[in-house]
Amino acid sequence: MTQQEKQLTEKESLELITTMINKAKDSYHNTGIGAMMWGFIIAVCSLVKLSELHFNYSLPFDIYWLTVFAIVPQIFISIKEKKERKVKTYDDNYMDQLWLGFGISIFLLIFIINNVFYAWEPVAKEYNMLAGHSSAFKFREFIAPLFLLLYGMPTFVTGAACKFKPMLWGGLLCWVCCIITVYTTIKVDLILTAFSAVFAWLIPGIIMERDYRRAKHGLAEANV
Amino acid sequence: MFKELNPILHSQLRLAVMSLLISVKEAEFTFLREKTNSTSGNLSVQIQKLKEAGYIDVVKQFKDNYPLTICKITKPGIKAFEEYVLDLQSYLGKG
Repeated sequence: MTQQEKQLTEKESLELITTMINKAKDSYHNTGIGAMMWGFIIAVCSLVKLSELHFNYSLPFDIYWLTVFAIVPQIFISIKEKKERKVKTYDDNYMDQLWLGFGISIFLLIFIINNVFYAWEPVAKEYNMLAGHSSAFKFREFIAPLFLLLYGMPTFVTGAACKFKPMLWGGLLCWVCCIITVYTTIKVDLILTAFSAVFAWLIPGIIMERDYRRAKHGLAEANV
Repeated sequence: MFKELNPILHSQLRLAVMSLLISVKEAEFTFLREKTNSTSGNLSVQIQKLKEAGYIDVVKQFKDNYPLTICKITKPGIKAFEEYVLDLQSYLGKG
């Protein structure tokens, strides 16, 4: 814009308003690092668990503890992203709260599942003693669909709200896998969970990171 | 008779700043400068005029030892912007 105040016509004014509103809309750029990290971690956890079951060995620790340790870098990533943001949009607030709510829901789900396990264990043993064979109902076969149900929610909402199709399709994929895993064995459940994590978070994260770098590069060039 | 367009908003850079700020919660000075492609001096003057009119809030703070200016649209600013857009539409509709 020029130093001199240009006299605008009414039409030019409306065009300027539209252009600036569109420019502001384009300002939301997530670095994608968080999405990449979680996609990778969930995929690794699922595949390691699958290999434990398939090759009949067990690690000295539960691989899912990785998800708890990943909260530390996630906090650093969130703080860094907030610091680097030159603009705060209303979408930022909603997205932050949505994913925080998702994190809380995941921990509540783990809490509920652990409690159901403790309650179910003696019932299953008693059934085994009385019937002479184990129950056909295996609770752990139904854990993956519950997680996939939750994974789909914020992923789909983020994709739809930010008009970011890779995440929108990723969210839908989580829900499709959620339905399939109700009918499949735990090994297939783990493969589909890893598959969902890759397509819902890892790949969209890589795309977001690429877009973020391009946008940053574009701004840097504009400032030269 | 057409209503006179708000002279505070009927200026290229001030209108651009207000259009950006109406779409976001708050924005740094550098963001406004990048998006409007203006110079720091000119932008500072126009931001001051918007602030004096009560249309925006300007908060000055420090980030990593560097001064940081954050701008946010106020309620009177939103009202003035909406009225300005309505006036523009009436001009274009009747013109």
